[in-house]
Amino acid sequence: MINNRITSIRNTGLHFKAGLALTLLMVMTAVNIFAQKPEGYIRYLRTGNWAKQMAAVDYLSKQQRDRMMYMWGNRSEYKSFANMWFSLSGSKYEDSEEKADRDDEGYNWRKEEYTIMRNFETQTIHEVQYILGKTYIIDDSLHYPNWKILNDMKEVAGHICMNAFYEDTLKMQKIIAWYALDLPVSTGPERLGGLPGVILEIDINDGAMVIAADKVELKPLTTELDLPKKVKGRKINEAQYYGILKKHFDERREAEEPPFWSIRY
Amino acid sequence: MRHFVNLCLLLLLSFPLLLTAQNPSKVTIKGVVRDSTNAEAGYATVMLLNTKDSTLVNFTTTNDKGVFSFSAVRNMPYLLKISHISYIPHQEMLQPSATEVNDLGVIIMKPISQALMEVVIKAAKAPLRIRGDTIEYDATTFKVPPGSTVEDLLRRLPGIDVDAEGNISTQGKDVKRVYVDGKTFFGDDPKSVTKNLDAEAISKVQVFDEKSEQTKLTGVDDGTKEKAMNLGLKEEYKKGSFGKATVAGGTSERWALRGNYNRFNEKNQLSFIGYGNNINQAGVNWEDYGEFKGQNTFNDYDNGDFGFGGGGRGYYVFMDGGMGMGSDRRGYSKSYGAGVNYNFDNKKTKYNASYFYNQTSQDLDQYTNKSTFLTEGSVLNNDTVNQSNFYGNHSIGTRFEHDIDSNNKIIAKVNVKFSNSNNTNYQVQRFTTGELAPINNLISDNSTDLGSWSLGTAAIYRHRFLKAGRSFALSAGYNTSHNSTADSLLSINQFFTATTFTEQIRQLKDRATDATEIKSSALYTEPITKKWYWETFYNFSLSGNEANRQVKSLPEENRIDSVSVYSDNSTLYNRLGSSIRYSNNGFNAMAGIALQQLKLNGSYLQDEDMPFLDSVPDIKRTYKNWVPNISINYQLPNNMYLSLDYSYNVDEPSVSDLAPVPNSSNRNFLVLGNPDLKPARSHSVSFSYNYWNPASFANIGLFSTASLSEDRIVYNQWIKTVQGVGLQTITKPDNISDGKDLSVGLWSNVPIIKTKFSVGVDGSFNIGESASFVNDIRNDNKNTGVDFGLNFDITPSTKFILDLRGSLGFNKMSYSIQKDQDQNIQNHGVYASLKWQFINKTFLETSYNYTVYINDRWNFDRRIPIWNASVRRIIGEKNRFEARLAAFDIFNKRVSITQTATSNYVLQSIAPTLARYFMLSISYNLRGYETKLGKNRMMF
Repeated sequence: MINNRITSIRNTGLHFKAGLALTLLMVMTAVNIFAQKPEGYIRYLRTGNWAKQMAAVDYLSKQQRDRMMYMWGNRSEYKSFANMWFSLSGSKYEDSEEKADRDDEGYNWRKEEYTIMRNFETQTIHEVQYILGKTYIIDDSLHYPNWKILNDMKEVAGHICMNAFYEDTLKMQKIIAWYALDLPVSTGPERLGGLPGVILEIDINDGAMVIAADKVELKPLTTELDLPKKVKGRKINEAQYYGILKKHFDERREAEEPPFWSIRY
Repeated sequence: MRHFVNLCLLLLLSFPLLLTAQNPSKVTIKGVVRDSTNAEAGYATVMLLNTKDSTLVNFTTTNDKGVFSFSAVRNMPYLLKISHISYIPHQEMLQPSATEVNDLGVIIMKPISQALMEVVIKAAKAPLRIRGDTIEYDATTFKVPPGSTVEDLLRRLPGIDVDAEGNISTQGKDVKRVYVDGKTFFGDDPKSVTKNLDAEAISKVQVFDEKSEQTKLTGVDDGTKEKAMNLGLKEEYKKGSFGKATVAGGTSERWALRGNYNRFNEKNQLSFIGYGNNINQAGVNWEDYGEFKGQNTFNDYDNGDFGFGGGGRGYYVFMDGGMGMGSDRRGYSKSYGAGVNYNFDNKKTKYNASYFYNQTSQDLDQYTNKSTFLTEGSVLNNDTVNQSNFYGNHSIGTRFEHDIDSNNKIIAKVNVKFSNSNNTNYQVQRFTTGELAPINNLISDNSTDLGSWSLGTAAIYRHRFLKAGRSFALSAGYNTSHNSTADSLLSINQFFTATTFTEQIRQLKDRATDATEIKSSALYTEPITKKWYWETFYNFSLSGNEANRQVKSLPEENRIDSVSVYSDNSTLYNRLGSSIRYSNNGFNAMAGIALQQLKLNGSYLQDEDMPFLDSVPDIKRTYKNWVPNISINYQLPNNMYLSLDYSYNVDEPSVSDLAPVPNSSNRNFLVLGNPDLKPARSHSVSFSYNYWNPASFANIGLFSTASLSEDRIVYNQWIKTVQGVGLQTITKPDNISDGKDLSVGLWSNVPIIKTKFSVGVDGSFNIGESASFVNDIRNDNKNTGVDFGLNFDITPSTKFILDLRGSLGFNKMSYSIQKDQDQNIQNHGVYASLKWQFINKTFLETSYNYTVYINDRWNFDRRIPIWNASVRRIIGEKNRFEARLAAFDIFNKRVSITQTATSNYVLQSIAPTLARYFMLSISYNLRGYETKLGKNRMMF
């Protein structure tokens, strides 16, 4: 699956001489990679492909999904940015107002609440999410997916990452996460975390949604991790949150309609 | 013996205790991580994984001395995994520890070569896949020229050395063996593979240590390892094909054939389609169209006409790709079509080319009753027409889109179409007074041959500046079309009130039209702040229209000067405008104004290269107008959307409306131009409100549009009985200052039982007021319409889907000149459809449609029940075949009905069309048919 993600990788026009390569074959010594505290700001680029998102909805007819990929597969991408601030004590992730796709310049949709805050000192999560027409405030202790650790290595935004896999059966998502080996903070984009390092890239259903860090700035934080200004919303816990999702997914399955028109992927 | 048993029992009972004593429940696992030079590996990630599925149980990092420790973790088997940015990940199995502290001692990690790090990971951005000692990477990220061999590819790869003879070595050792997809290839010589295999076919290169042949043979590991290489072949995972074919035959000699076949991979799509039938299906349906056009389906709408309200003027060339969607269903027709489409798409460059041919021949009989109101009384026309029509089109289209870089994009497209058509029309019109006293009979027998071709081209260039939101776009287009028509006209006019009873006219008419248009638009957008934008645009177009009409009387072949004319018209259009846009958090508004200028020129000659018509002066008109435009879109909280638009429209008169020469040689229906005509100007406002609830899926929408005309173009008529002509109608366009239209409507859909039962309602009301002159008397007419619809979607299970709909429509036309001619037109309908999967893979599908057409004033009342039913079964292990037995119009009642009421006439027409037939069809689907109904009716 990973090797198939070849299309997105740019040719850098590399001209490397094998002889030179051999002379470079030397042992690296471990450098002190934590000269700075693991604290700072990450900008994530979220690239969604709605045809691929629909193609992973198992209860839609195969014909319909194939047809959609055939007509839309290459032209159904949308892009946005998200921001994350992180330190050893916590992290805060939210959608950015900055436009990622320059074709979107000049038109603004209403911003929907989406803030995910983790506090590693109290081991709690605090979220504000707009779900199916309502704003919810989710407070609970930290829970993480059961990551399966894989064995690939790559660089994301200047950081060497390794990967892990998790399948979300409710949302029908196969998730590959790339976590940084040199940023030992157990957080990541959206609701994903729980790996030994900051997750710098997420690939859901082979390109249906890719959330990849395109900027990592290590710097001391000041007030960035403070609680956001109070938002009105219904207070629920994580179990209730999953209950709301499950109800929606069950209904959409029953109606044989795609679930993601009305809910964040 | 008893003692022994007791002892055994004791031992048995204490066994778990003994175990516990040996293996504590909680354990501390610690160790030191170093590299092969014995340097401490600080800040390595150390993970404990579940041995069964590699799920993460616990993790920590080593300190700066390379030391790690997990305290008080459950004592169970673990997979210990240590990763570090500079080393190959280390994995080892840990068994449950017998002691409370499991000291793993020194763990040595192997470094990752700097070349791999720098070249593969950093420069090529390729992921490394590590499998024990094997490192593989994605060969496709290392680009080699097309036609290169694997050897050329290997020369590019870091850490691999290829000498002049093609011998491969890595880390100073020769590669003894090369596998392809894990299998030996072309014997043992690695060079035979690398010199022969195409680099394009390779997806990954793996280098690993292999036990020596000696070890393999003896089974005793002699410790020597050899270097081996595996080349993974590309898995073209997106490659595929699909296709369908249907053969059908039925009663009344009905038949239908259709088929399509598509092949595609990641970058290419190639499709073929063909059909033929005599069941009035003159084109392809939307689903076929989408599968034929693939990724290019929605690219016919490239808009190069920048600015508000579409600065677009002139014509679009065949929006549907000439595939005959939405064709005429009257009469009886036989149609054929075939085409091929190719798409290429590699994200940076998109290319499409397609060809399509379609033809239809139609036989049509139509009976029309038309009543035209005069200032006093009315004229009835009883019209019987028999037509035979043929048309054929070749359409060739190509489109190219290229992202030069992230800031520059070009789109270019060319469409060409060749058409020919011929038509014969035999018509008998019987004119009587309102009291049924005969006036005249007009019998005409006409035929037309038309040949035409057209070319449409467009190019769009877009540039984005570095500043976000600043952009520039430029477009240009050239369109041309050429028609030539030969008409042969024969009419016999029989008079009942004149002394000469019969007049016969025979004419030959040659018409040629050459139209060309050059156009260009430019748009510049400047962000003023993050929320405010300023746009400036310019539209230009120059269109020319040369029309030549030469009419000869037969049999003498004398030119008829009064109706023969050559005209040369041109329209120059310039529009310069500017607008301000505000965009923030769901609120998007635009206000702008433009100055537009229209210059019309027309000159009229007897024939091309012949003298000017003395009686007709050249036309030169210039219209200058300021046109404002406002558009507001507001997305409120909770999924509510509001929009409000205002525009001021100025549309210049058509060339034929201005032409000062009668454009008809039929003396019963003379159409005159009006050179003094002004452009039609109107204000229009539209409003809409939509709400949907994403949790319950209920939705509601309201909309309203209104327009107020300042100078409406209307067609005044003079209708009188003329000696030697019979009833003559002269039509001439003119401007009228008033005219209003308003329509409001709503629609809503509410699920009553989620996913099982939903109810939809819709309704609309519209009112229109206009006026025209009939025999110089002003006739104000008012049109009021009310429509109401109700529908129920019932889907109790995926095996049973019921759809019930009803609609009511009332239309009232009133006329100031004759109150007693007010018309009440009604169109009502009931529709029911049932889909039922009654046995596995067998489906019953039936629909019933009852339509009522009423006009009280004329005692017109037609009720048409149409019942269709079919049974189909999916056959075969792979569900690739489908057999279907269908009955169309079981009651044998289908006819085509049209009811129209306009400013001064009302008509009802009936055309017989394809009625009852039965048909058996066999279909084959390469990908197999769905064996369930599917509730979802979405079309993509």
